[in-house]
Amino acid sequence: MSHDAIDVGTGVAGLTAAVRLAEGGARVLVLAKGVGSTHLTGATIDVLGNPYMGSDPFNVGEAIARLPADHPYARVGGAPAVAAALDWLRAQVADGPLEGYEYAGGLERNRLLPTAVGALKPTAMAPVTMLGGEGRDPVAVVGFRQLKDFHPALVADNLARAGIAARSIELDVAVEGRADANAQALARHFDDPAARGAVAGQLAGRMRAGERVGLPAVLGLRDPARVWRELEHRLGRPVFEIPTLPPSAPGMRLYAILRAALRRLGGRVILGAAVTGPLGAGARLDGVRAAVGRREVVHRAGEVILATGGFAAGGLVLDSRWAGREAALGLPLAGMPAAGEPRFTAGYFDEQPMARAGVAVDGELRPVGRDGAPAHANVRVVGASLAGAAPWREKSGDGISLSSGHRAAELILGAAARPAVAA
Amino acid sequence: MTGLSADVLVIGGGATGAGVAWDCALRGYDTVLVDRGDLAEGTSGRFHGLLHSGGRYVVKDPSAAHECVVENAIVRRVAADAIEDTGGLFVTPPGDDPAYGDRFLAGSAEAGMPVEEITPAAALAREPRLNPGLQRAFAVADASVDVWKLVWGLARGASEHGARVLPYHRVLALRRSGDAVTGARVRNELSGEELEIETGFTLNASGAWAAEIAGMAGVEGVHVAPGKGIMIAMNHRLVNTVINRCVMPTDGDILVPIRTVSVIGTTDIRSAHPDDLPVTQAEVDAMLDDGERLVPGFREARAMRVWAGVRPLFEDKKTGDTDSTRDVSRSHALLDHAERDGITGFLTITGGKLTTYRLMAQDTVDAMVAQRGDDRPGTTASTVLPGSSEGKHYTLGTRLRDREAHLDDDQIVCECELIGRRRLEDTMRARGTRNLDDLRRSLRLGMGPCQGGFCMYRATGLLHGIGRLDGPEAVGSLRFFLQERWKGVWPILYGDQLRQARLDDWIFQGLLDVEHLPGDDAGLPPGPDTVPDAEAAVT
Repeated sequence: MSHDAIDVGTGVAGLTAAVRLAEGGARVLVLAKGVGSTHLTGATIDVLGNPYMGSDPFNVGEAIARLPADHPYARVGGAPAVAAALDWLRAQVADGPLEGYEYAGGLERNRLLPTAVGALKPTAMAPVTMLGGEGRDPVAVVGFRQLKDFHPALVADNLARAGIAARSIELDVAVEGRADANAQALARHFDDPAARGAVAGQLAGRMRAGERVGLPAVLGLRDPARVWRELEHRLGRPVFEIPTLPPSAPGMRLYAILRAALRRLGGRVILGAAVTGPLGAGARLDGVRAAVGRREVVHRAGEVILATGGFAAGGLVLDSRWAGREAALGLPLAGMPAAGEPRFTAGYFDEQPMARAGVAVDGELRPVGRDGAPAHANVRVVGASLAGAAPWREKSGDGISLSSGHRAAELILGAAARPAVAA
Repeated sequence: MTGLSADVLVIGGGATGAGVAWDCALRGYDTVLVDRGDLAEGTSGRFHGLLHSGGRYVVKDPSAAHECVVENAIVRRVAADAIEDTGGLFVTPPGDDPAYGDRFLAGSAEAGMPVEEITPAAALAREPRLNPGLQRAFAVADASVDVWKLVWGLARGASEHGARVLPYHRVLALRRSGDAVTGARVRNELSGEELEIETGFTLNASGAWAAEIAGMAGVEGVHVAPGKGIMIAMNHRLVNTVINRCVMPTDGDILVPIRTVSVIGTTDIRSAHPDDLPVTQAEVDAMLDDGERLVPGFREARAMRVWAGVRPLFEDKKTGDTDSTRDVSRSHALLDHAERDGITGFLTITGGKLTTYRLMAQDTVDAMVAQRGDDRPGTTASTVLPGSSEGKHYTLGTRLRDREAHLDDDQIVCECELIGRRRLEDTMRARGTRNLDDLRRSLRLGMGPCQGGFCMYRATGLLHGIGRLDGPEAVGSLRFFLQERWKGVWPILYGDQLRQARLDDWIFQGLLDVEHLPGDDAGLPPGPDTVPDAEAAVT
């Protein structure tokens, strides 16, 4: 069976591309080794925070316009394309299965939202459940002794250093009788009305006038907007979530929203399928080969979107002889230091020489060879596989994944809509 | 300035110095031990973890081998808890001369070292990952030793006998009164406070740094050649037995299973200074090739961390300067400065190897006892260290068993090394430390495959929570630790460890934004705030 398009990968980039394509009427197949990296992210859409930050908060669109030409944001078409992707995601979330759960924000300015160490991280768009973290009103940061991945006193102490009156409260919650509960287990706990009611009850008498409440991002998986509103109502004050170490409840929500959209639109997903190489060679690929267990399966499609991630996700690999390549299709990497040159440097916080290594693409996100010409006309590379960005340093990873996934789909849909002049 | 007085000042908190302090304390001397850093932070904490059977030396130096045979048996008894009884194999991989095995057997007999030749098939049955083409194999009594457990056991034992153990106290000067060394001025590196220590005897057990300390006493001509050895920790136990290449000692000829990892070593490169030990990519590459020879597929396995240690190889003028340090004696050197330089109350012990730390300590304290004219025989060969009284060796499943007993009532902070919250908080309080790296040495925190990716945030939160640090200090400590981990990671960063490192970046930079925290950054590694000139970069 042949599809119009195959997307490889189920992170933000891959799911965005797949959903947008399915929305545009394409028959889409998603292949992935497993659930993507949404479960690792804070699920805020950080578009660009550093190091191009002049002052904060600042206009993200203007900052994007100043990026070098080989940066992924330049490749996707700059700020207008990024803005279009943000608009699209906002609509997807609003129309999604989690009632009342929305994303808000845009490129006009970055919002500074607290992290789990109490840093103020610039982000362009975030779930409404997190937006109350912005601003300088007093905060009570609430944690749970059972959740080792969130330390409220540390958050409060560092917020206080930034001039925000903050204190911490640690609560005990009984989750499955264990000493440990990760963010996922706590989020399930909050799905239970009685359990979250008990938390609200513990907090109600301890609030001070004018204080907001910051909680780890565990306010439910099934109906987070309701959990959040209920807490705000019970406590009579703004409540906001702060992302924790993985697993990420808001990341799981984002995955659920995009996955549901794809299902609704008839997209097909096969997890446990590792793409091992291209089907065919030359200007247009016929599809991909994939390993399912020890069996090799062939999938045909007119278009291939590669959204397998960077080195963290295994989309890019570096072997012990220091040779790098893209793992699924074997594409060459750009931005790699020359043989004998250092790949890394001794300072952890310095930008590493191979920080921006990845697959180089043209203005239509097609992988290019050394001559700058597209290697395959029907392959688009999106997300963290792209060369030219240092996502975590820049705080640009989510924005790149979203906008490149969206842009690749738009390019494919646009090309299909145009009358075929060349056969 | 405050002062202390004691019978003996021991300088150096490695295995030798801690062993000396333990020995002195057992003989009833009032003892103070100082180290400029943490205990076992120098050479002792930077080796492969091998308790030698003696096999490494039987051909070249049978008397050194014999020392190992004797000390191996004693250390297994007195420090049982720090030892894992892995056993060892000397193997002849394809391409090596099988005739060396005959010399090995002859040397073993001469050194009195028990050895049994087994068939290649038997060796492969015991260690299936070994090179299937191996020609000969010999079983010996190698073991692995957890050096932090050993050194802290010695320090604890010494303390229980009245010794004062002072890590992070740097010697600034030695005091002389006529021809006698009578004490030292030291600085508490954490508080900055200076301290005058008055002693009858000063024992210099500072290893690779011994010449520097001897110089402070006005002693000249002590040369300690720093021999740099690199080691790479692989994230699995590729083998469960110590594997040695049965050849004359060379680079990359030993693979030691220790705790949850296996460590390959080592090299022997003359370095300029014991504090400057860069690891090059070429050295890493050569070591990986050496690993491939012992265990095929080594390059596909996950290299987790690389580090360099420095052997203190005592040199006198007779050997002259040579580029190879491997031929300098590994047996220890005890310098009696009364005989040698006419300076009393001062001895230097250097050279040697971890396996013989106890003997080195005993020889040193014996010499002091003789010079003082006391009659106090040493008892370290028969006195069991705290923690080892049951005589049980460490086994790989120990921590897992302990964890499983407490799954419901104690959080697990470090999944890689199975460290519970109670134990971590107890250690934080007991050590009174503000430094996550101290906790690493005490508990192996952050030493597993994720290299602190998950546990470091948690440990920082806990350290802050028990009141050891304020917010900015906690983050400073976290940043310091990230830099310390990175030091040992970046030269071997490929494959799955690169994947892990990028995930860690994702957490610390992408999720937490630790590099942009507000507050006091004094004394922290420089931040990444150098803004590239984006305007100029636009083409």
